[in-house]
Amino acid sequence: MNWIKLEQLLLKGHSGRAVSFDPALDHDTLRGQALSLAGGLQQRGVQRIALHLEDAAELAVALLGAWRAGVSVLLPADLQAQTRQRWDPQVDLWITQSSELQALYANPLPGAGLDLDACRLSLCTSGSSGEPKRIDKTLRQMANEVEALEQLWGNELGEACIIASVAAQHIYGLLFRVLWPLCAGRSFVRQQLAFPEDMQRVSREHPAFAWIASPALLKRMGDNLDWPALSPVRRVFSSGGALPAEAAQALHQRLGQWPTEIFGSSETGGIAWRQGPGLWQPFADVQLSQGEDGALCIASAYLPPGHVEHSADAVRIEADGRFELLARLDRIVKLEEKRISLPMLEQALEAHDWVLEARLGVVRENRASLGALLVLSDSGLFALREHGRRTLTQTLRQHLSQHCEALALPRRWRLLRQLPLTSQGKLAQAQVDALLLAPRPKQPEVLSQNQLDGVWTLRLAVPPDLAFFSGHFPTTPVLPGVVQIDWAISLGQQLLDLPPRFGGMEVLKFQQLVRPGDEIELTLGFDPQRSKLHFAYRHGDAACSSGRIVWAANDNLGGSSDIKEPPHA
Amino acid sequence: MSDLNRDIKQLIIDALGLEDISVSDIGDEQTLFGEGLGLDSVDALELGLAIQKTYGIKIDADAKDTRNHFSNVASLAAFVTAKQAA
Repeated sequence: MNWIKLEQLLLKGHSGRAVSFDPALDHDTLRGQALSLAGGLQQRGVQRIALHLEDAAELAVALLGAWRAGVSVLLPADLQAQTRQRWDPQVDLWITQSSELQALYANPLPGAGLDLDACRLSLCTSGSSGEPKRIDKTLRQMANEVEALEQLWGNELGEACIIASVAAQHIYGLLFRVLWPLCAGRSFVRQQLAFPEDMQRVSREHPAFAWIASPALLKRMGDNLDWPALSPVRRVFSSGGALPAEAAQALHQRLGQWPTEIFGSSETGGIAWRQGPGLWQPFADVQLSQGEDGALCIASAYLPPGHVEHSADAVRIEADGRFELLARLDRIVKLEEKRISLPMLEQALEAHDWVLEARLGVVRENRASLGALLVLSDSGLFALREHGRRTLTQTLRQHLSQHCEALALPRRWRLLRQLPLTSQGKLAQAQVDALLLAPRPKQPEVLSQNQLDGVWTLRLAVPPDLAFFSGHFPTTPVLPGVVQIDWAISLGQQLLDLPPRFGGMEVLKFQQLVRPGDEIELTLGFDPQRSKLHFAYRHGDAACSSGRIVWAANDNLGGSSDIKEPPHA
Repeated sequence: MSDLNRDIKQLIIDALGLEDISVSDIGDEQTLFGEGLGLDSVDALELGLAIQKTYGIKIDADAKDTRNHFSNVASLAAFVTAKQAA
């Protein structure tokens, strides 16, 4: 196979050199289309375009054509309304469908080499402050990187068809499934294949193949696959996020090879790689150092000359230059390889009328998703009382969906009366995560308690997120009477010297509903002669409920009720 | 609601950690992915694993349209029934 340098892909056509298929595309046709697009863009005086194309071959045409015409290219991470709005002032034209691409073809420009420093690409990702950030790259940076990849793995991949489960819109997919195969003369599959079955079906159609995948897919490949048929895979690349050790181990067992993990970022491109558990090996063109905060600092041929990128990944670097990744130093998290800025989403939540304060964390279950701790505003509490928890969380998810992809929408919500901030006004991420894992409360929060002449008066806050509200009732949460009795009993047992056995209940009255977030007053008094606990709940001036609970010191049950066991909510 | 439909709805809720949604909130014919219930492709992967594990069936990886069975609860139930009978 003949390597064509990235900047020389449009110099002359090579008919018969495969690029992609379904429909088939060879290098000569790809070049023709790219030059036609270049002609069309130049004719229209376009200077800057944004590209979002699912078909990797079309993306290749669009990129090369734009660069040939001297047009700079922005690759937005998604097509969310907010994303389009944000970048729109910086581009003249959006190309998001093949019809839009083809409509631009005009008289082709002549073939020519591309200027390594003038051709530009911008990627979009979340910055550490939460603001989406734009990362500019030159063609030279990308050319250096694909050449390094070919040096490392080209011989072994040979004529493998490149099959990918990741989008070409991000740096990893762009380099590994589009630019590298284009230069190497390897064919690649146009579509991103999200499911293991699709990867298997397409793999079987090719005598030699390699996978450009991510942990989202690799950790979910099941026993239903024909592993012996897949084991000829030349190499399995994984990037975009951490691959769990068990997933790597399972692939090793089934395929007889460890997946090749690539560690990198949109800012830096590839930094290091490893195969199997162990330390990360930096790419040859990468120089690493460590900042005062312990973070990995990167200089490389894939970054602008002289630039040192200070990452937010804490590392331990060995004497031989290999390193171990420790932890993230900022509040950017990865969910299924998508970089999510927690501060950005928290700000978006706090911009909603119903939310006073919000903190987000990652809940790791079968799949990792975000969880939100919220302190509701008065209008938020009103919405919860009038419409229920589901309407509240659905509305907030809807609100957030303008700011992020569906994947980042919190799945778990915990409504708190206040955030447990330290005196410095901080809330450690570990505590946010712990609060998200905790079950919803079943007890009231006791704000104060006083005793006068044997009668206890307690001020109680009814947690807005009380577990009982979901079923009672889904759209109008009210505190169940049985829970009120249960609280009276358990608080009475804590504060008063009650006999051991529950005997029954008398003169129960429920007069007014108690709702999420209410602050109520509970009085508890024990009449030892009659062995009865008197309880009464009030909300402001209004009586909510009252009754007497009968206790028996022995088997001689008192009271008029037949109930022999305390009620359990 | 048939028992199998209800069980599959509960499986969806449990496997995907959905809060504030009960089986009665999911329609038999309601689209699960994208619009509709708002699940994404990672959910589809998770649900594929959960269905295979719970019902002891295997998704035929060589059939081209297996994922069509995942469009709603009714089609999933039909898929499970057919696989268990096979």
